[in-house]
Amino acid sequence: MTNNKYKILLVEDDANICTVVATMLESSDYQVILAQTCALAKTLFASYQPDVVILDLGLPDMDGMQFLKFVRQDSLTPIIILSARSNERDKVTALDMGANDYVTKPFSSAELLARVRVALRNYRHSAEEGKFPGGRFKCRDMLIDYDARQVFIGGQEIKLTQTEYNIVALLSEHCGKMMTYSAIVKGVWGYSTEGSTKKLQVNMANIRKKFGARPGETWYITNELGVGYRMNGEEEE
Amino acid sequence: MRKRKIMRNIALSAGIFILAVVFGVLFQKLEVQEHITTVFVFAVFLIALLTDGYVYGVVATFAGMLAINYAFTYPFFILNFIDPANLISAIIMVTVAILTGTLTTKVKRQDAIKMETEKERMRANLLRAVSHDLRTPLTTIYSASSTLRENRRTLTPEQQDAVLKSIQEDAEWLMRMVENLLSITRIDSGRIKIIKTPTVLDELIDSVMNKFRNRYPGQKVRLELPEEIVVIPMDTILMEQVIINILENAVFHAAGMTTLSLKVSTQGKQAVFEIADDGCGINEERIRHILNGSYDDQEERADSRKGNAGIGLSVCATIVKAHGGSISARNRKEGGAVFRFTLDKEDAMDDE
Repeated sequence: MTNNKYKILLVEDDANICTVVATMLESSDYQVILAQTCALAKTLFASYQPDVVILDLGLPDMDGMQFLKFVRQDSLTPIIILSARSNERDKVTALDMGANDYVTKPFSSAELLARVRVALRNYRHSAEEGKFPGGRFKCRDMLIDYDARQVFIGGQEIKLTQTEYNIVALLSEHCGKMMTYSAIVKGVWGYSTEGSTKKLQVNMANIRKKFGARPGETWYITNELGVGYRMNGEEEE
Repeated sequence: MRKRKIMRNIALSAGIFILAVVFGVLFQKLEVQEHITTVFVFAVFLIALLTDGYVYGVVATFAGMLAINYAFTYPFFILNFIDPANLISAIIMVTVAILTGTLTTKVKRQDAIKMETEKERMRANLLRAVSHDLRTPLTTIYSASSTLRENRRTLTPEQQDAVLKSIQEDAEWLMRMVENLLSITRIDSGRIKIIKTPTVLDELIDSVMNKFRNRYPGQKVRLELPEEIVVIPMDTILMEQVIINILENAVFHAAGMTTLSLKVSTQGKQAVFEIADDGCGINEERIRHILNGSYDDQEERADSRKGNAGIGLSVCATIVKAHGGSISARNRKEGGAVFRFTLDKEDAMDDE
């Protein structure tokens, strides 16, 4: 039985959530593979080679993190975490261990489907074309010229400092992936000190001002309080 | 914390004792030595009253005894334990110290018990109100979903949609309620102080507005934020909840509202949040009651849906107070209500 639908491995132990999420995904034309336990998930991952993994962190047999580690040993398959509210630390750990994104329970179908689309697109992007073609990144009205280290919006150059540019460039290279504060700090400054998250946030506030973004309006970068930032891909609202 | 308490007690005791000595010297100059003992008895009483436990009072007693014996009674500057007058004053002082210590400790303990009972009562009230309120949406969800499964064929698409809509709405209501309950447990659990992380105001508002817009796409909010970058130490999840609850309260209860606005300004070391609507206004008395933390379900019973407002706002008050801020609500002269709360902001930025 072969088809060219995208395969999604759903690792979740709650039967009802499984049913609902599987229905949601199948009706959007994805093929869903279900695993209730971490052990089964490992087997299924190896035999099906799914395009995306949706992983609940609270699994009965092993912590979801174990599975995350297992996948990340030799694969870049996008992983979306399902997590409960209020434990930012779990989210941050999962993201730092290689998860691409997370959705907080309770979530709507639109939310989850949007994340799946973004994850798939970026995976395709990096897998097929390598780094962005022509040293440029384009997203709606924004253009980043990596060679000239310049950022334009609607043809208008945005004057950024070195640090600010580095942050924007880093996020764009990982477009669609939720980047934790510590991952960005490491990528931009190379080391992290005590006040570095705050330094990052202040820089980000300046970037936001320069981009002319008003709080609550969508712009190119989403901020998840206590977790990190994500540059949005083209499709996402 | 403990160390600071001990330091405070020692400082207090020393201060009072020095004052007593000063008075002692003064009395001696005025040649009314017979009252010096009284001064020390009074000092010991004060120390026992104002410090925690017995220790300070008893130590002060012995110090006082020595002082009187050595400096203030004949023979001067010689310790003399044989004089019955000295012995009697010593016994009086020790008794006073121990009695006062016992009494104050008892009163303090009783106060703590009273506060604990009060808290317990509030929690019980809240729990009762909440579980009562939870039943209504659960009933809807349960009966609506079984209706759909059993009678799908006889229902028109419109009817099906209406039933589904009621499920969705009540599930959303439950989600909000659970968020509030989680917030309470986050504060109450083990009485651990909330963990504050420095947060950029713009990011907080950004996140809040994104969530709010997702839930109420039709409701515009006018924003007014300070130009400079403001950093506020806070538990972001809880603080988001505060703003969303107050905005939501306006959406549900401010009948006739046309504009809803959120304004943040800085006053000295504080950030002031003001959420204003131009709706029908509020019952100031009742809201003050809720914000003071005396959440009582008596008035809420008439309409269980209103209960959410009470819980939401009392959660706001709890959170803001746990952050060391203050919260208030009043009606505006031009109509509508304004909720106002303050938080301490971080001092000026020290980077770059």
